Amino acid sequence: MNNNTEIVKLIDTTLCTACRGCQVACKQWNELPGLPTKQTGSYQNPPDLQWNTWTLIRFQEYEDKDGKFQWLFRKDGCMHCTDASCVKVCPSGSLYYTPNKTVGIDRSKCIGCKECVAACPFNVPKYDKATDKVYKCNLCYSRIQENLPPACVKSCLTGALSIGPKDEMLKKAYAKVEKLGGDANVYGDKFVGGTHVIYILQFKPEVYDELPVSPKVPQSIFVWKDLFKPLSLVAAGGVVGGALLHYILHGPKRPDPADNITPNDKK
Amino acid sequence: MQKGLIKVTTGYERFVHWMLAISCLLLCFTGMGMMYKELNFFGAIFGGLKGLKVVHNYTAIAFGVALVLAIQMWWKEAGVFVFPEDWEWFKTAGGYLWHVDKVAETGKYNPGQKMFFLTVAFFGMVMIGSGFFMLYPQYISANLLDWMYPLHALGFLVIFAFFFVHLYLGTIGNPGTVQAMFTGWVTRAWLKKQHPGWLREMEHEGTLTVSNGK
Repeated sequence: MNNNTEIVKLIDTTLCTACRGCQVACKQWNELPGLPTKQTGSYQNPPDLQWNTWTLIRFQEYEDKDGKFQWLFRKDGCMHCTDASCVKVCPSGSLYYTPNKTVGIDRSKCIGCKECVAACPFNVPKYDKATDKVYKCNLCYSRIQENLPPACVKSCLTGALSIGPKDEMLKKAYAKVEKLGGDANVYGDKFVGGTHVIYILQFKPEVYDELPVSPKVPQSIFVWKDLFKPLSLVAAGGVVGGALLHYILHGPKRPDPADNITPNDKK
Repeated sequence: MQKGLIKVTTGYERFVHWMLAISCLLLCFTGMGMMYKELNFFGAIFGGLKGLKVVHNYTAIAFGVALVLAIQMWWKEAGVFVFPEDWEWFKTAGGYLWHVDKVAETGKYNPGQKMFFLTVAFFGMVMIGSGFFMLYPQYISANLLDWMYPLHALGFLVIFAFFFVHLYLGTIGNPGTVQAMFTGWVTRAWLKKQHPGWLREMEHEGTLTVSNGK
């Protein structure tokens, strides 16, 4: 694997046993603290992604049409979009595309504006008030640069997680889906320019908790960044130019000096 | 003050005007430094981009206070159109755009100034509102929050463009105007040209303050 290859991390949810080794390995490699959490009546812990939890196994109790019970385990985290909303809105360049086309984060540049938190269609970046910065998975960019798999992939016992060049991983995903049959599908390659984290799902995407069926860059971001932002300068420039033209063509509105004589002075 | 000058603004009015103006310009400056990557260097004098954010957020408080004071002080005089007089002014665009033999007589605020006041008041509140939710996203739904950002950008578009309109018309576009916001004293000729209705009204009511030169 070349250091600049476009890579994809494949998550085969059908092989996941929810051991949460990836969740622990992620914290270990990235030196993220464990914080007190709440019992919500689920094995899912913590309840959601947090500034200190960049990947999380979601536990879902699923009953099919025949009332047959099944656990659904989904490893949640940054999807590393090709058209990443977070990169588009980030004012500081803290969020950026790595040469592997994943989305890196340079926290020294982050100013804690939270614009990426609102923009992300997958609800991934999390803000920490204490440090006034945003946190999310960077697909262990420091390891990727050294040709090492991310900590989560390294820790995975069942082969549910694998990483490699995009085309190879997609081929592998579609082969698996064909083998599974039924509603099985590949999730991630058909929107936001293709994500660099791809799921093999046994059921349709709408079955899974917190998984958007057709995620996209919010319309509001285009109105904001591609319309009003450039138009602001055009409008201001137009006014300055217009004022100059007005001054030289129409001329200013000058008072008539004769009117300075007050009625009293006239007497 | 030079003999014969006429007082048109109070110290309080000038204070509120400049509090609003300076905070508004500082918000434009720091906001642009964050929105446009090419202007990120604006952050240098505040110790970086983070400094721009901090200054922007605190300046918003001063802007909000000044905006409330300005609206409370001016809405009656500058926030309400009076017809048919104001309509007459609109028909000639105040004599600003083409040659007009006789421009409709205007009172203390002409309809153009009223439009400016209403725009600043409305979009100022839009900026405070949208900015609040950008800072505290937990108080709004995710769908609405998404639209606070373009709304904030739209407010900037309008206010920034109007700033230059205001700057031009308040200075070289209308000679003799700018001292109304510095010393508060203008010439009689200026008042006769710009606000003849108001001059007549003050003379009639005996409220005209003319400097005796001391």
